[in-house]
Amino acid sequence: MGLQQNFHDEPVSRLSLREPVTAAPSETLRDVIGRMRDKKLGCVIVVDGDDKPVGIFTESALTQLLGRHGGQVVNEPIEKHMASPCTWVKLTDPITYVVEAMQLKNVRFICVVDESGRVAGLTGQKGLIEFVADHFPDQVMVQRIGGTPYSNKREGA
Amino acid sequence: MSDATIPDPEEFQDPLENYDPKVYADALEQALAEQTVDQIRHEPMATIAPDVSVGEAVKQLAGLHVACLLVEQDGELLGVFSDRDVLDRVALEFDRVKDQPVRSLMTENPVFVYETDSAAAAFSVMAVAGFRHVPVLSLDQKLMGIVSPQRVTEFVQQHVPAT
Repeated sequence: MGLQQNFHDEPVSRLSLREPVTAAPSETLRDVIGRMRDKKLGCVIVVDGDDKPVGIFTESALTQLLGRHGGQVVNEPIEKHMASPCTWVKLTDPITYVVEAMQLKNVRFICVVDESGRVAGLTGQKGLIEFVADHFPDQVMVQRIGGTPYSNKREGA
Repeated sequence: MSDATIPDPEEFQDPLENYDPKVYADALEQALAEQTVDQIRHEPMATIAPDVSVGEAVKQLAGLHVACLLVEQDGELLGVFSDRDVLDRVALEFDRVKDQPVRSLMTENPVFVYETDSAAAAFSVMAVAGFRHVPVLSLDQKLMGIVSPQRVTEFVQQHVPAT
């Protein structure tokens, strides 16, 4: 089966979803940066009292803020700087929704919600690349992982 | 060895036409196997010298709206400085580290690909090794560009339209 068909037939839950970092709107950037570091994630999903997504704050937005305003900006609440609304798909939606959302909204992260709209995971460009890699192991998984220059000398005698 | 035992290349009797071409599942698999890194968009790239301050590097990332700067000197790749380095090593320590040279906080010896590697090699660095930004070098080690997840996603979308 081709990848395009898989995008249409397989649900978002088949992507390798990350457990997201979530935050309340009133938390400061300083509060959440430590959690982003610990979980090695590039974004935080801002949620309401029902754990439903109301916004997203990315490491890219953090760089923009530091570049414009300097280090004190980390003491401000996340709700002041989050992007809202947050782009989301349901666990049961086809993967093609993720591809379309990234294409149309030019975003890197997509929040995944369950049937009741609560945050259930995180995916995006990385999840899609890993899905492609898993789909074509004969091409992707056999590659030399870059970084070593080819030898100019022939091996052996 | 006498000349009679050496086959004449002109009379070689097993041309490639005798073999079935490789069958791919779809256009993306064919592109991963047969296209090179050079055919994934890898320009423009943003570079910075190693002695520029961290504060200035953050301003450049923000001003250029890029997620990664390639740290280079005389065309030689020394490291990368990305949004992730800002998150991990700068954000909470900004006032303390902003005057340090970027070389002190960059990610050194980044994994790279050659422009002549197969497109699948760039996917492999991202999916298997987990690096988001992959510098592209020529075979004589010259810096040619950078492949990002966004550019790889574009490559996927180019060969597998979502709709």
